[in-house]
Formats: sequence, structure tokens, C-alpha cells
Amino acid sequence: MNQIIRLVYRNLTISINPGFIIWQILFPLIYIFVAGFAYTSLIENVPFGNKDLSYPAFLASGMIGFNIMNSTLISGIIIWNDRRHGMFEQIMSGPYTRSDYILSNIVTIGIIGLVSAGLITAVGYPVFFESVDFSIVTIPLLIFASVVGAILFGSIASIISTRLRSSEGFNVIINTVFLFFAFASTAFYPAQGAPQPLATAFYINPLSYLVDIVRAGIFGQITDFVIMEMAFLIVLASVLFVIATKLLTKLDF
Amino acid sequence: MLCIETNNLTKKYGSSLAVDGIDLEIKSGQVFGFLGPNGAGKSTVIKLLTTLMPPTKGELSVLGIDAAKSPLEIRKKIGVVLQQPSYEMTLSVENSLDKYGMMWDVDKKTRKQRTEELLTSFGLQDIRKKKNDDLSIGQRRRVQVAREFMHDMELLFLDEPTVGLDPSARRDLLDFLKKQVQKTGLTIFYTTHVLSEAEYLCDNIAIINKGKILAVDSPNELKNRFGREKTIKINLTKTSHSITDLLSGIPDCKIELEPEPTITINSSDSEVVLMNVLKILNQNNITINDLSAIPTNLEEIFLKVVSDSNEPNN
Repeated sequence: MNQIIRLVYRNLTISINPGFIIWQILFPLIYIFVAGFAYTSLIENVPFGNKDLSYPAFLASGMIGFNIMNSTLISGIIIWNDRRHGMFEQIMSGPYTRSDYILSNIVTIGIIGLVSAGLITAVGYPVFFESVDFSIVTIPLLIFASVVGAILFGSIASIISTRLRSSEGFNVIINTVFLFFAFASTAFYPAQGAPQPLATAFYINPLSYLVDIVRAGIFGQITDFVIMEMAFLIVLASVLFVIATKLLTKLDF
Repeated sequence: MLCIETNNLTKKYGSSLAVDGIDLEIKSGQVFGFLGPNGAGKSTVIKLLTTLMPPTKGELSVLGIDAAKSPLEIRKKIGVVLQQPSYEMTLSVENSLDKYGMMWDVDKKTRKQRTEELLTSFGLQDIRKKKNDDLSIGQRRRVQVAREFMHDMELLFLDEPTVGLDPSARRDLLDFLKKQVQKTGLTIFYTTHVLSEAEYLCDNIAIINKGKILAVDSPNELKNRFGREKTIKINLTKTSHSITDLLSGIPDCKIELEPEPTITINSSDSEVVLMNVLKILNQNNITINDLSAIPTNLEEIFLKVVSDSNEPNN
């Protein structure tokens, strides 16, 4: 078996546990079916491209992007746990290189991102099926969002995990960063109507770009702006990936 | 055949010299003990030999492979149990062994068979379903060492593997290691602070301090080289205040009357000194309650060699 596949299998084995799966499914379900319908009285329809989406449909599609981001936390957790519990050094003293380790983490978060996106798409489908406008690019766009989003947010989580040793520090920083990404984005609510500084923050947040691409795929609203967002995500994900790789390569024992 | 060969192996951290030009030649099929006080450079040497870090200077060959050219090829043939614990919290003991074997590309059937054998050999059957996170330090250490035997290897590095083990588990591990060396021809590079372990297990021993190798030899040869000075304790029936004055004339020895009424004699010519002491005691009608000669052990050798190296002129 190839060494990357062996490490990916190991990553998945140690990461996927009942707690993680419940968190990955239950949390979006509560948002979609509780918050989605509860907030309908406040936010009736959300304009998206040339469509008016119901708030539950808007939220359910936003939750796909949110879940991709959330699942990449696992990357940071794997690296942090490996360092904390001596497994990083142990793996590096075995038949692996640092490149194997980094690549295996990327593949792991890519798989988890894809599965998460698929799961929420399936779960959220009854909510947004009325507005769905599937086309030949829907699936490629969802895959693009899952993979690039996983690399982008996985790199951020990896960068944080390489800088922090204490569990308190790691949890506080990673939760704060991901909380900001989640709530200062268009995953949960539209940017229209938000105060100007907040609306600006929404559009310097990569999660907004990610959910825009997901929605564009699902609701058939591919515009030049969405293509620009895709290019921006690729560039940002590449830069962050290079930084994360450099930091991981420089980790000493 | 040489298993490890180093030439002027040096490691600097900034301006601090952790390993200072070490030359080592270790033959295959033996247990090689590596002893030294805390911070002497033992773990750094292990990290260099296992290619976890590159040396600042010097040459290193492990199993005939140049570490500078093919570090991965070396790591494919060695096993390493590092000083600090390493474990995956969420895995059970049996899963830890199995997944570790998988990471070394051991086939499923062999993994299953080895897992059962190691669970038995390391006394882990009762806790096989327990998660690593719920184990005691000693249990976790046993899993960590057992895990390394899931894969084939020619050379095993054990950095203080018995830390946290109870005396019985410790002896079981040492016996297991001895058997492995006899059965498979495995070479073991072994560091410990428990010198009785090194004496029991190791064919050859190196003592390191301040990054320098101070002595390399078999335990017996080290005793012959550094352990000529013996300690004799004579327990008297009662204290005599004049005893120190009476014995002060005996040459080539150090005599102490502490704790009273015990005389402690240290000398490299202990037989002659003992005869003189007994003669004086007899002449002065001082009776002896008990007499014992303490054999030189590795701990004394270690302390002597390390303390000599700490002298200012060294």
C-alpha cells in the first residue's frame, strides 16, 4: 500500500469517531431545520443572482460551505494531537517523509470536506429543492468548493496547530478564528442590509466566497463574479498551503 | 558487521554543543547501552542516528547506509521507541498495535498474529480493549514498546523504555529484549538511567557526558578499567575513640568512621589494606561484629567516570 494511502487511512481511523460524526451532522441539521424555519419570519426571501431564495434554502446551501470549513478543523486537530502525543516524531522516525505527512493531511481533509458537502447537500435537499437549478457544472463546482475550501481552511488550521502547544491556546485560537469566519460571512445571512463595515468584512472572508460558489452551483447562478471568487480562492488556498507546508517542514523535534 | 558507524558526529543548537565529535563503532547482533546523566546528549544522539535531525558536522552510517544520502532507507529498517510517550488517544490497545503495523505496511494476517503474540508477551491481554487515553503511564509505555515489534527491523533504538514500568514488567521487558536479540539477531541501542538494567542487558556500554563519549567497553571491562577501588565495611562491636588514630598510618587508602561503629575503607589495594586493618584491630583487642566487601557495580563506575569528566581540568 502506498505510504500516503496508509497515512490517510490512519488519519481517518483516529479522527472519525461517533462524536465527530454527530457534530458534523447534528449541528447543520439544527441550523437548517430549526434556525432556518425560525428566522423565516425575520428574513423572508434572499435575492441571489436573478432568483429569490427562501431563507431555509439560502441557509441550507450556506451550511454546505460552513460544514466544509468546519470539517477541516480536523486537520489542525490531527497535527496538534500528533505533536502533543508524540506521534509526529514517531511517524517521522518511521518510513515516512514530511512531504508524505503533509500530503496525507491534505488528502484527509479533502475527503472529509467532500463527504461533509455531500452529506449536507443530501440532508438539505428537501429544503432547497424548489430553487435548485442543476446543470453540468453543479457537481464540478461542489467538488471544487469542497477541495479548495478544505485546502484553504485546512491550511489555516494547520498553521495554527504548528504555532501552539497548549490545548487551551489551540482551542481558544482555532474556535475564535473559525467563529469569525462563520459569522462574518454570508453562510448564515445575506450581506445586503448589514451595516457597511460588516458587509465589507463579509467580502474579505473566504467563507463568503466558498458559499457563493456552492450556491452558484446549486442554484445555477454562475456569473463572472463567481469565477473571480473561484480564482481568488485558488490563489489564497495556494498561498496558505505553501505557508502551512513551510511551517510543518520547519517543525523541530 | 558494523551496524552503526560515526565519525566526528557533532550537533550544535545555536552556540550550544549538544554532541561533540562522537566516534562510535557498534557491531550487529548486540545490545549496546548508552549511558549518561540528564542532558548529556543521549537523546540528541538517538535523534541523529535515527535521522530525525541532521548533524551539524561529521559522518554517520547506519546499517551500511549513508545517513546524509538516504535517511529514508535507514528509517525503513529501524525501529524507534523515543523517550517521550507517543500514542493515539482514540485507539484501543489492540487497535494501536494493528494500525501501527498497517503504517509499516505489514499484511493483515501477520498483523493479527503479531498483535496476539505481543498482547501476551507484554501482559496487555486484560486491557486490549482499553483506549490509550485511559491507560496508566506504565501501560502506555508497554504498548509503545510492544507496538514497535509489529514490524520487522534490523536495529531498534530504545530511549529509556522502562520509565514508568513496575519492577516485574521491567524484568519481563528486559528478558523479552534478550530473547529477541538471540532469536532474530536484532541489534538494540539502549539508553537508561537504571544502571542495573544496562548491566543485565547490555553487551557493550558507552558512557557519555557533555556530548562526549567518555568510555566504551563491555560492563566487565569497564569494571576492570575503572573499578579497581573497592569498598570494605567493618562493623565493630563498640566504638573506640582511638581507632581513627590507630588506622591513620595505613597507606593508599581512605578510612572513615561513619556511621559509628562502622569503619568504611576505600582502596584500590583493598586486600593489603584489609590485612593491615585486621592486624591493628587484633593488636588492640577491638572485636569485629561483621565484615563485608561491596563489589564494584556499574553505578559506581558510571558515577566515577562522569564525576571525573566534570572536574574543571577535563
